[in-house]
Amino acid sequence: MVKKKYHIKFSDILIFILVIATISYCIYRINVGLNYKWAWHKIPQFLFRYDAESGKWVSNILMYGLYNTLRLSVWGILLAGVFGTIMGICRSSKILFFRLISGAYVESMRNLPPLIIIYIIYFFIGDQVMPGLGLDSFIEARSETTQNFISFCFAKPEYLTAFFSALMTMAIFEGAYITEIVRAGIQSIRRGQWEASYALGLSWWQQMRHIILPQAYQRILPPLAGQFISLIKDSSIVSVISIQELTFQGTELMTSTFLTMEIWITVTVLYLMLTLPCSLVVQRIEIYFAKSKG
Amino acid sequence: MNIIVLIMIFCFAGAVFAVDVQKELRKASTIEKVIRNGKLRVGISTFVPWAMQSKTGEWIGFEIDMAKKLAQDMGVKVEFIPTKWEGLIPSLLTGKFDLIIAGMMGTPQRALKINFTAPYDFSEMNMVVNKKVAAGFKTVADFNKAGVTVLARNGTTAVPATKRVLPKAKLLLFSENGPMVQELLNGKAHAIVSSSPEPAQLAIKFSDTLFFLDESLGKEPISMGVRKGDPDTLAYLNNWIVVVKNQGFIQEKVNYWWKSMKWRSLIE
Repeated sequence: MVKKKYHIKFSDILIFILVIATISYCIYRINVGLNYKWAWHKIPQFLFRYDAESGKWVSNILMYGLYNTLRLSVWGILLAGVFGTIMGICRSSKILFFRLISGAYVESMRNLPPLIIIYIIYFFIGDQVMPGLGLDSFIEARSETTQNFISFCFAKPEYLTAFFSALMTMAIFEGAYITEIVRAGIQSIRRGQWEASYALGLSWWQQMRHIILPQAYQRILPPLAGQFISLIKDSSIVSVISIQELTFQGTELMTSTFLTMEIWITVTVLYLMLTLPCSLVVQRIEIYFAKSKG
Repeated sequence: MNIIVLIMIFCFAGAVFAVDVQKELRKASTIEKVIRNGKLRVGISTFVPWAMQSKTGEWIGFEIDMAKKLAQDMGVKVEFIPTKWEGLIPSLLTGKFDLIIAGMMGTPQRALKINFTAPYDFSEMNMVVNKKVAAGFKTVADFNKAGVTVLARNGTTAVPATKRVLPKAKLLLFSENGPMVQELLNGKAHAIVSSSPEPAQLAIKFSDTLFFLDESLGKEPISMGVRKGDPDTLAYLNNWIVVVKNQGFIQEKVNYWWKSMKWRSLIE
């Protein structure tokens, strides 16, 4: 493949200068107009601190937030993927009952603000379901190793119920969008594929599993990956129910230190560190599929 | 004869039933549950210096010390559940934690939803003022006019206090302290109304921009909040408050967290 050489044009320089000027003006306004004392040197200690007792560097408030965001995102993506696939299959089912269930699910989730859904699930549904599962007593009865394992994978025992409520909320909410993506994927597969596999004697489930879904997933991978990135971003919403993820930790820290700008900027950078690599992966996937088709 | 036996059975059943109810009530009380589980879950909300995270991620503050002492006296572990201020009462009602220790005043409206203990402390409602924007403002009454912007944290008692004392001023609500203070520092508002000692301490921290208006907008009793229908817990806490007050524990903590700024180095 031959790379095209790009010539810098006059308009490029103009745009570049304009961008630089805008940024400089913003910085100038913040410094002069906002009466803000920058104290960047105070930020690193909230990421990592030196623990004098153990003589090691350990994570601090903001990094804990980042880890929680990561946990929420990873489990959220898995669960939302499962919900989305099941509901997506239901949505393209021939049976009216399944279509109605999945249709009601998608429409109610997509047409409500996520904040409202989170409050409803956390305060009403979460309370009725979670204690019934007996999660707290189950965890307490486990050995310390198991408890540590659970703390590592999910959350500390005392925050576990809240964590699962948040996780379920996000999975249910994002699952609705993934449902639609999966449905589009399934419906985009041509009738001929169904008919051919039917002619080969495959059952409905075998057709779905071996013929339709693999092709559908190939097509929907880019939008799916995009949805996962938005799940990472949306995880900041659960800060309203006091899950100690990145946004929550950031606002808590601001309350006690008043390093408003520094903390927001640091939090921004941390979110970018999570989402940008995902974005790059999505681009790669798109290029890969474009090539394999062409 | 038969009738007498029947009546007697009813009477006994009634008595047994009453004993059962008493037992059930005691078993269902929060205090029993806390002792049984060996841990006290306390709902807190970050508010300097009532409850906040230290540099090392530990919870520190006036309310934290209160909760730790309470747990220690009960012989149980303490767990802090940080919650947004607006979420405190709903979370208590839905059992996310056992009690609220968050510098909360038992306003009549709140007391319709949950029960409050006797006050363990009082806090003043004060103002911290932007020097430039509110130049020439000397008293609280000076702020009660159109064109004046006052900030307060959403859901706190600063909101009704401001509406009562400064009905003519424009009131802007924030749910976070950080952005609210920044708004005042930026000169977009005249003052922040908040519970002591925050206004005075803000004025010390940002002494070149802000000043403390040494006039109270009202005094607030601070209580712990518990779920309704639980007289045992309420009685236990009320008794505990009287005891620690007389031990001088509360005064000692007030002196440390409110009158001194020694703790500042713990958080930054």
